Amino acid sequence: MNSDLPAQPTWRKLRFDLFGERLALVIIAVAIWWLSSLSVPHYILPGPGRVWDALRLIAANGDLWNNLGITLWRVAVGFVLAALTGLPLGILLGANRRAGEFFEPVLPVLNTVSSAIWAIFAIIWFGISNATTIFVVFMTAMPLIITNVWQGTRSVNAEFIELAQVLRMPQWKVMTKVYLPTILPYFFSGARLAFGFGWRVSLVAETIGSSSGVGYRLRQAADLIRTDQVFAWTLTLVIMMATIEMGMMKPVENYLFRWKKDAQ
Amino acid sequence: MRQPPTKLMNSAELTQCSPGATEQIAPAIRLIGIDKTFRNGDQRIQILRNVNLTVAPQTIVGLIGTSGSGKSTLLNIVAGIVKPDRGQVCICGAASEAFNDWCSVGYMFQEDRLLPWRTAIRNVEFALETGTIAKSERTRRALETLQLVELDGFANAFPYQLSGGMRSRVALARCLVTEPRILLMDEPFSRLDAQTRAQMHEELLRIHRLKAMTVLFVTHDVAEATLLADEVAVISPRPGTIKEIVKIAPPRPRDVTQPDVTVYMQKLRALI
Repeated sequence: MNSDLPAQPTWRKLRFDLFGERLALVIIAVAIWWLSSLSVPHYILPGPGRVWDALRLIAANGDLWNNLGITLWRVAVGFVLAALTGLPLGILLGANRRAGEFFEPVLPVLNTVSSAIWAIFAIIWFGISNATTIFVVFMTAMPLIITNVWQGTRSVNAEFIELAQVLRMPQWKVMTKVYLPTILPYFFSGARLAFGFGWRVSLVAETIGSSSGVGYRLRQAADLIRTDQVFAWTLTLVIMMATIEMGMMKPVENYLFRWKKDAQ
Repeated sequence: MRQPPTKLMNSAELTQCSPGATEQIAPAIRLIGIDKTFRNGDQRIQILRNVNLTVAPQTIVGLIGTSGSGKSTLLNIVAGIVKPDRGQVCICGAASEAFNDWCSVGYMFQEDRLLPWRTAIRNVEFALETGTIAKSERTRRALETLQLVELDGFANAFPYQLSGGMRSRVALARCLVTEPRILLMDEPFSRLDAQTRAQMHEELLRIHRLKAMTVLFVTHDVAEATLLADEVAVISPRPGTIKEIVKIAPPRPRDVTQPDVTVYMQKLRALI
């Protein structure tokens, strides 16, 4: 019997090549940045050295960690609330065809409303508080999760349901053993999308409706024409998002969905 | 192997399902006067009309007919997932409605229907997850069954990593893991290439000898029916009814080149 298992790639070598390429990309980007900054005043485009100093300053006085923590916390709360409402609502809309048809137009409408508009509403309703940012993250993330979960319920294979029926499997076991594993990849990709959007819109919300957090600090630095600090905040945020996305979400997804042929 | 009478069964069903005058023990499957009509909007399509069939214990019976003759519906009625409009289904001497030992009936579909997110062994375990068998016991029995179909080396492979023949073996193992007395098969090997199908035929006959099961399978392939079955029931097209039952005399294993086998193939071809 010949083995039909796919050949294992020379995985270590592949990883090293990839790491080298990424490093080269970062070096090129920083070099272009540095060269551009030489001919421009520092309050328009600060060089890498200046931004590094600003970064060290805000890291040393604790400003960086406090605000990063606050923003992360707000995003997490909004995201978890969106997941907790989006998952059951998505399943409900998928399970009940009438309800699904009735509410179908609501999602595209919600998705088209700009997060800036949600932020303005949030200030009117919640004032300058944590709730403002959480609300904006929630309103952006929830429709994305609902849409994906809904799509997932529609892709449940009727053949598997019949298989469970032949085995006389009770309904609740069919839910956990057939429905849930089918929906999970859809939920996960929706959640990843929602988390990414959540980060971005949280800054919009904090810029106009908060007295703390990275978004607030960004605007403050811009008002004071501390462009080096604007860059420092932006840089930390990008690094943090990329770390969460590639260092946490992607590996978890790859492990959970390793049964998919094209997962890697 | 007479089932003790229960309050659910009335006396008419008892006599219908218990062994007949010429039988020592109750048949594995007995169908009496099965009718089935499907509604499609205003249209009513009669699929089965007055189907009578008896499958003796430990025999292999093939159901053959053109597509749309209601073979699969008949199998679903035996499995208890489709209710007949009229007639009685008896399983192991009990009326189907009163029968409660469904794990002793295995059902193999036309498609392998392996859950893509489960490994081979976990797919086999799936059939045991209806009840309350402990996880370690499930795993032990699933591995044992994978050994039976000679696939224990691929226990931890996901379905996409397996060939069509291997997937078919996993599906067979999932049917066998509950140790069924009756195995129902709905064109189980029709999607495999000729060589793999021949291997699966050998596999099925080997396991049938080993486990002394009753097998009822649906096919549209005359050669498959002739190679495997003790008896072949020919279903006429819509409305489906048993036209003739052909006993295949030559002992197994059979070969399509044997003259005494080809005679039966010609006979069946003439019938459908």
